[in-house]
Amino acid sequence: MSELAVRVSQVAKTYYRDQTPVPVLEHIDLTVPTGEFLALMGPSGSGKSTLLNLIAGIDRPTAGTIEVAGQSLAGLSERALAAFRSRHIGFIFQLYNLIPVLSASENVELPLLLTHLSRAERAQHVRAALDIVGLADRSDHLPRQLSGGQEQRVAIARAIVTDPTLLLADEPTGDLDKKNEEEVLVLLQRLNREFKKTIVMVTHDPKAAACAGRTVQLEKGALAVAPVAAG
Amino acid sequence: MNFLRLLLRNALRGRLRTFLTVCGSAFLMFVLVFMLTALSEMDAWQGTAATHLRIAVQHGTGLANSLPITLEPFLRGETIAPHGYCICKLNWFGGIYLDPHNFFARFATDHLAWRELFDEFAISQAHYDAWCAQKDSCVVGAALAAKYHWSIGQRVTVLGDIYPIDVTTEIVGIFNGPTPRDEEVLYFRWDYFDELLGGRKLVGTYWLKARTPEDIPKLKELIDAHTRNSPDPTETMTENEFGQQFMEMMGNVKGLVMNLGGVLLVIMVLMTANTVAMSARERVVEVAVLRTLGFRRIHVLGLFLGEAVLVSLAGAVLSLGISYVLFNVLRLSPAPEYFPYFLVERSTMVLALAASVGCGLASAAIPALRSARRPIVDGLRQII
Ligand SMILES: Nc1ncnc2c1ncn2[C@@H]1O[C@H](COP(=O)(O)OP(=O)(O)OP(=O)(O)O)[C@@H](O)[C@H]1O
Ligand SMILES: [Mg+2]
Repeated sequence: MSELAVRVSQVAKTYYRDQTPVPVLEHIDLTVPTGEFLALMGPSGSGKSTLLNLIAGIDRPTAGTIEVAGQSLAGLSERALAAFRSRHIGFIFQLYNLIPVLSASENVELPLLLTHLSRAERAQHVRAALDIVGLADRSDHLPRQLSGGQEQRVAIARAIVTDPTLLLADEPTGDLDKKNEEEVLVLLQRLNREFKKTIVMVTHDPKAAACAGRTVQLEKGALAVAPVAAG
Repeated sequence: MNFLRLLLRNALRGRLRTFLTVCGSAFLMFVLVFMLTALSEMDAWQGTAATHLRIAVQHGTGLANSLPITLEPFLRGETIAPHGYCICKLNWFGGIYLDPHNFFARFATDHLAWRELFDEFAISQAHYDAWCAQKDSCVVGAALAAKYHWSIGQRVTVLGDIYPIDVTTEIVGIFNGPTPRDEEVLYFRWDYFDELLGGRKLVGTYWLKARTPEDIPKLKELIDAHTRNSPDPTETMTENEFGQQFMEMMGNVKGLVMNLGGVLLVIMVLMTANTVAMSARERVVEVAVLRTLGFRRIHVLGLFLGEAVLVSLAGAVLSLGISYVLFNVLRLSPAPEYFPYFLVERSTMVLALAASVGCGLASAAIPALRSARRPIVDGLRQII
């Protein structure tokens, strides 16, 4: 495996609102070594989510290149990009985004439907992932039968079940109370330290950022000098 | 968990909505199956008459007028003999047996020619002999006998409506036909019929058999030319053509039914499309999430199309199940006087299922495509 999990070079992203270009990111250079836990901070509207989406391969940059696990995303077709996400990316949303009609374990199983694993193997992976997030006893619960913190932990299980190269989290604790926030952060830290997961986490919260190994700051579409790393 | 399970879960997400859509499409599909069955029944009656060399002679002005008995010597004479044989009178008696709803065909016919003319019927020699021996007797089809629990020796009275006579005959024979439909007939003797009418010698139609297919046009020409300048001109035609005059009356009906069926399908598509569009709108974020997980556009397309097909197939299966039980098992008929049988045919079922799959696909196509093509980031931000 490459030493760098992510390499972002000279990336720009411009949205168009009724023909008017809205530049969101400009000249972004960022590298994330394998095994790092990086926090991405910045004011609202500075383009944090946009950058995370570009790294996740669910959006394409206007200029520049992005490599994940040594693979450039630029030349990939829609289909190849989907396969890339399936293999390399685990995405954690602020609002959990579990499928409401599926149980916890079925939600976790979803990404595995795209693999060649047998039913038994899938069940095994799902159990392992739910075990890691401490919700093995809730596997039959529907999302609405879970608390917000539990939902987010199921979402994390869904993100790690395929053992992806990279975990991307967009304000994963943004909608949680203190206690649940704490739990989720501890879990992410554990995934980073114990399971050697590379994590890029967008957050507004300096306390959350403190759990990461390094913090970078987005300021009006450009990366500012990172403050001293904490944690 | 697998894709089918995911489809089912999605379909059952808005239970009431799905239930109403299934019921709606089941209802429309029931009407469609009903109409198709009516058409297939019409065709079935016509179809039974297809293959024979039988020729019908009717009055040139239509079936309402009788033919003169004076035509018979000509038909039996040497002009016709080289081309046709087995001359047989056949009068549609109509009438009422116990109740106007008890519909089946009743004919007065020449018993002596009948057996050869209708050689697709199987009747035992003993039964046939009994019919020939007794003037006020009749033979009935096996299905008909079973339907009314008739047995040999029983007397059956049919009240006349076309003719001012009531006919009571004793059942002396039961015959079998190629299909139960062909057995929905009672034949009694024309000589008895004429006796009851006081010897007025009213002949509804003359029937005969062409010796070869090539004789058919000859017979038409010979017979119609013979009567052309008489007060009672004739129209000679094959059995198929004879049947078609009834079908032609229904020809317009057939076109109408087809158009109505098309309208029903359009309504069904619009109804399901509405449901799919609503649920696609609700699932914008979910679709974006699925695609973030690595699901492809084709998967999204498949999920929506599959769900719509599932729902409309459920409606079709429901309606086919109900129709099958009503019409094929319980043997109910919406109009027994026209349709003694109202059987949903296998081809109708296949057509209905195919139509419902088509409807599902058509109704989901646009919402499914829109969902599949929406950029993931737009979906996550719910920019619709
Ligand atoms: N699809 C889009 N079309 C137009 N503008 C967009 C689009 N997506 C994002 N933007 C704009 O890009 C800018 C950056 O958005 P982004 O979501 O990346 O910010 P963010 O740093 O994640 O903010 P927040 O902290 O509020 O989540 C915003 O001004 C936003 O309005
Ligand atoms: Mg954001």
